[in-house]
Order: sequence, then structure tokens, then C-alpha cells
Amino acid sequence: MTASFTPPQAGTTAALRLDQCVKGAEVRMVSLLQQPLFGGQDERVSLRLKELGFLPGARLKVIGFGLLGSDPLAVQVNGTKFALRRAEAAKIGVELVGSH
Amino acid sequence: MSSPIRFALIGNPNCGKTSLFNRLTGARAKVANYPGVTVERRSGILADLPNTPEILDLPGTYSLFVTSPDEQVARDMILGSIAGETRPDILVAVIDATNLRLGLRLVMELKTLNRPMVVALNQMDAAAARGISVNTAGLARDIGIPVVETVAVNRQGVDKLRSILADYASQPLPEGTQRLTPGENNIAELNRDDSIEELYQKIETIVANNVIQPHEFPRWQDRLDALVMHPILGLVVLFSILLFMFNAVFAWATPIADLIDAGFGTLGEWIGATLPDGILKNFLVEGLIAGVGGVLVFLPQIIILFFFILLLEDTGYLTRAAFLLDRPMRGLGISGRSFIPLLSSFACAVPGIMSTRTISDPRERFITIMIAPLMTCSARLPVYALIIGAFIPEKTVWGIFNQQGLTLFALYLAGVVSAAIIAWIMRRNQAREEFPLLLELPSYRWPMAYHLLMGLQERVWIFLRRVGTIILSLSILIWFLCTYPGAPADATLPEIEYSFAGQLGAFMQPLFAPLGFSWQMCIALIPAMGAREVAVSALATVYAVSNENLDTALGVALQHSWSLPIALAYLAWFVYAPQCISTIAVVRRETNSAKATAFFTVYLFALAYFAAWATYQIALLFN
Repeated sequence: MTASFTPPQAGTTAALRLDQCVKGAEVRMVSLLQQPLFGGQDERVSLRLKELGFLPGARLKVIGFGLLGSDPLAVQVNGTKFALRRAEAAKIGVELVGSH
Repeated sequence: MSSPIRFALIGNPNCGKTSLFNRLTGARAKVANYPGVTVERRSGILADLPNTPEILDLPGTYSLFVTSPDEQVARDMILGSIAGETRPDILVAVIDATNLRLGLRLVMELKTLNRPMVVALNQMDAAAARGISVNTAGLARDIGIPVVETVAVNRQGVDKLRSILADYASQPLPEGTQRLTPGENNIAELNRDDSIEELYQKIETIVANNVIQPHEFPRWQDRLDALVMHPILGLVVLFSILLFMFNAVFAWATPIADLIDAGFGTLGEWIGATLPDGILKNFLVEGLIAGVGGVLVFLPQIIILFFFILLLEDTGYLTRAAFLLDRPMRGLGISGRSFIPLLSSFACAVPGIMSTRTISDPRERFITIMIAPLMTCSARLPVYALIIGAFIPEKTVWGIFNQQGLTLFALYLAGVVSAAIIAWIMRRNQAREEFPLLLELPSYRWPMAYHLLMGLQERVWIFLRRVGTIILSLSILIWFLCTYPGAPADATLPEIEYSFAGQLGAFMQPLFAPLGFSWQMCIALIPAMGAREVAVSALATVYAVSNENLDTALGVALQHSWSLPIALAYLAWFVYAPQCISTIAVVRRETNSAKATAFFTVYLFALAYFAAWATYQIALLFN
């Protein structure tokens, strides 16, 4: 599970990002990272993610992937399912809780 | 009080605002023209409440800090910052009880606006089925806003909400409500970066105190997702659904359509036999019955198509399809977010183009608008159905499919494939900047019969209104053009060739000759600019007038006068041509650019001309 580009980071170092998780992985969010791909609107994406419940401490579960390049991925947070692209998922630093 | 109170329903996408709206307003709703995802406010009257207040259904939003044009509409309506629009007096915040935190977050944000507000805790039935129980009184106390439970599935489910709204409506407005200063400052003062974490902490406490909630998602939902969102099986499911849907549009509608057709046929014969020969009989049979009846026949097909779209939308399936198609569509410069606008365009491009407001990326939105009319809309269905019915034999192929249904599917496919190619070409000239997808996949929901029926009724009503107004008047106009002036006494040609229509057709025909179009076909293209399905009425009238034998069905008349290559070329024209002024008008409004609108119109006409020409020439080779 190697990253093909330098992990976007903002001070906090996350060992694992959501986009690197496998299907069925249950993780806890630890940090929200910067994503240079979003350029000037990265801040807005961060805020929207937070509004949707992607906050440090939140329990996430990876529930599925799209066809090409495993993109987008579907993730469950607070009982709600969201589709995120890899670019958004790479903003979410996580630690593993379990998987099945 | 001078003007009636205005309520506004506001909430997250998919929280069931629109079904509440339908329940509250009932059949008396005065709604905007286009059903589907709410991207524009819809307004209705609560006729059974004191002082008949007005209620608005606003587009769903997660936050007042908006990221897409539809959320902007919701926010601007709430804040009263749209010119000429009075700010709603009382907010009815709708929360999906199965998705509490997300809903509560918006409610807490709305609360900072200090406006009179009541919370409708919706989908309580689904929540109960999932083992979620809410202490409503405690919740109301903790958030400081009255909370009512609602179940939009049945009539009684909204009674409590209705009685609260009735209380508001029968009293004078609470102090300070009528201030019309936009609340922008309230928002600017929010330091949202800190407040999101704090707010969620507060919400966690509120939820912990008042809600018993199982941690797991219902098993069947997860299992269904495992299939429907599977990268390969999911696509198989998606294409099966689409194929079934288009096949059904043809197969199920035929018996009813035949019945309607026969009804008009009998009516025509009866009038023909009863009335004396003359201009009145001529007008009734050739103008009115041929024109209006010709279009009404397609009502069953339109109902079936809308039924499926509403069904797929209500169950929550559509966003799964958007999920599956996001990556493939991104290769074309659009994304999963474009999927729903494009799918609605199969019903009608106008609401489809309007629902592109859910797309945050302006370039993606532009491309989606440009290609939306290539999705075959329901107004094209009568034209396709007529020509397919007349020229494609009704045979069963591969055991289950109707050959006519397959041809229809091929026409739909032609539109989709062309749209893909055009999107891909347009994307070439654009620098890409990433925009997030961030799409909620709502829980599956059993579709609500009432909501479906309301949606269908609305659609049928719009169709009938079109038939009664624009289609009727265009039919009369065509009949007039086909009838006057009459032929001279020494006429050698059929009477119609001397009429205005005949002259106009003869004038246009050279332009369309390379496509194989006859002058009758050219005539039909003109009123089709008003509404595509009028092409059918126009053909019906032109051929009814030019035929000596009035009983001949239109399909038979076409078989006698067109060859197969010509019929196919005409179909190809209708796949591409931006017929219908309303589509062009909505493109103008949504892009707010005359240049973009001109580009849109010209490129599609050029494409239509080329496609019809190529189809004709190729078909000639094979014929």
C-alpha cells in the first residue's frame, strides 16, 4: 500500500490516509490534511468535510470502491454514507481500528 | 394582516422535505413546472389553514456556507437576499431522524439567525424500524426549538406539524419577524472553523441525552449496497435497470395507447358521419382530432418513463448510479454529479438543465448543460414512437426484447454516446482543477405511493396543459396553413400543395433535400420548435389533409410516403436538433450568456443536419 504521490500534510503526520484503506476497513479519523490538488479551494473542501461529520475522532468505515482506479470510495460516518474521490479521501488521516 | 405568512421548508438533501411539502399542500399545491430534484423554490398554499399561508420548498443544503448554486438558492431565500422575494417568516427545519447529526448541525446553524423556527423530525417510521428512538421533548428543550415528529407516509403523520403551522398562521407574527434586513452579518460573525468542532460536540451531547441509536446500519441496506455499488455487478444492475425501463416504456404503454388511438379514431369517424361536409367538419377531424389526439396517444409512455425516474429517485438508488459512473464520467470532463441532471433530461431537458445547479464545478456544469438536450426527452418519444411503430417490425428478438423497444434503446444510446464524445471534446480545451465529489448516499427507502402519485399527477397535468395550450394552438395554426388558400379551380396537384404550408414546405425543402426530407417533413419541423411532439400533430394534419382517405392511420400514411432511409434520417435529426424554444431559453437563463446560448443552438443544429445527412446516405447504400 504505497502512495503514488507525496502525502499532503499539514503539520500533523498521519501514518495512514483514508484513500489507502481497504474495503471493509474500520478506522478512526485523526487529522484533516491539506490537498494541493484542490488549490485555492482546499480550505472550503476541508470545511465541508467537517460539516459532514469528518472530524478527528470520528469512526469511519470503508464500504466500497468504484470501478476504475478504485475511485471514488464509499465511506460511512455517523451512520451516513458518502462517496468521496481519492483526492478528498487523501485529506483524511486515519488510524486503524479493525476490519472484517 | 396584509400578506399571508410564509413558511419555508429547509433541510439536508434527501431529508424528505418534498414529500412533507406534498403532504401539507395536498392536491392544491401550486407548484413550479418541473418535478424532480428541487433546485428552485417550489411554492404551495396551505388552503386548510387560517389565512391560507404560503409554504416554500427549498433546495436541500448541508450548510449556509454554500458550495453549489442550488444551495445558494436555499441560502438566499432564507436570508431574503433575492431581489423581489420576501423573506420567509417562519422556518420549518426538516431533519431526517435516521440521519440526525447532519440535520441537527444545520438546525444549530439556522438557530444563530434568530428567526422563528420549528423542527420537523421526519422519517420517524424509518427511524423506528431501525431501532432509533428519540425523546422529542428532551430534544426540543436541549436545542431550544419546538420539535414535532412527522411521518410523510400517511396523512396523520403530518397532523401535529399542520396544527403547529396553524397556530402560527392564526396569530400575528412574532416580534421582529418582519425585519427584512438580510442576515448576512450573522453568518460573517460566525467563526466557522472553531464552531464546527464545538457544534458537533454539542450535538453529540444532545444526541447522547435524547436518542437511543443502534450503531449498525440495517443489514439489508449494507447487503444491497454491496451488490448495487459493486464495481462490476453494480454496472450490470444499472444497465439492466435502464434497459428494462426503456423496454417497459414501449411494451407496457402499447395497449393503453392503442385504446386512446382507437377512441380518437371512433370520434373522428362519428364526427365525419354526423356533421355535414364543410369547413367545420374539416377543422374538427383534420385539425383538432388529428393534431391533439396524435399527441395524447403518447401520454401512457410519458407516464411510465416518469414513473421509473421518480421511483429510482425516491428509493435512493440514483446516487449509487452516480457513484458508479463518477470515474468513467470524469474522463469526459463531467462527473457522477452530472448523472442526475442528465438522467432527468430523459424526461425533459429543462428541469435537467436546472438541476445542474447541484454541480459545484462551473466548467463541469457548463459541459453538462451543453450536452443535456442530447438525452432523449419525453417530447421526442411521440416522434420516435410514431416512426418506429410505422417502420420497424414488431418482432421479439433474443427471446425477451421487442425489436421496436430495442430501436428506441438504440436512439437513446445514440444521444448518450454523442453526448460523451462532445463532452470529451469540450474538456480538451479546459485546464482541469479538482473539485470534490462529496456525495451523500442516502439510505434506501421504500418508495411512497402517495409521493409517486403526486409526482406523476404533476407531470400528467403539465403534459395535458401543454396539449391544451401550445399543442392545441399550434395544431390549429397548422391546420390553417394546410387548408388556406384553397386550390385554384384548374388545380392539377393535390390541394395542399397550393396552401401556405405547401408553399413554405416547398421553400424549405431544397435545404433539406440532401437529407431526403420531403416538404411535408420540413413543415413539421417548424412547429416542433415550440414543442417537439407537435411534429406528430403536424405530420398528422399534413397527411390527413393531403390524403383523400381520411381513415388512414398516420403510421400507414407514412409507410406509403417515406422510404426507410428517410424515416431513419428524420429520427437522426430529432436525436440532435435543439428543437423546443424552452430548452434554449433555459440555457440562456442558466448560463447567463448569449454567446453560450448561440453556441449551444448552432452546434446542435449543425450536428442534427450532419447526422441526418449521414444516416440518409448510409441507409441508402444498404437499402
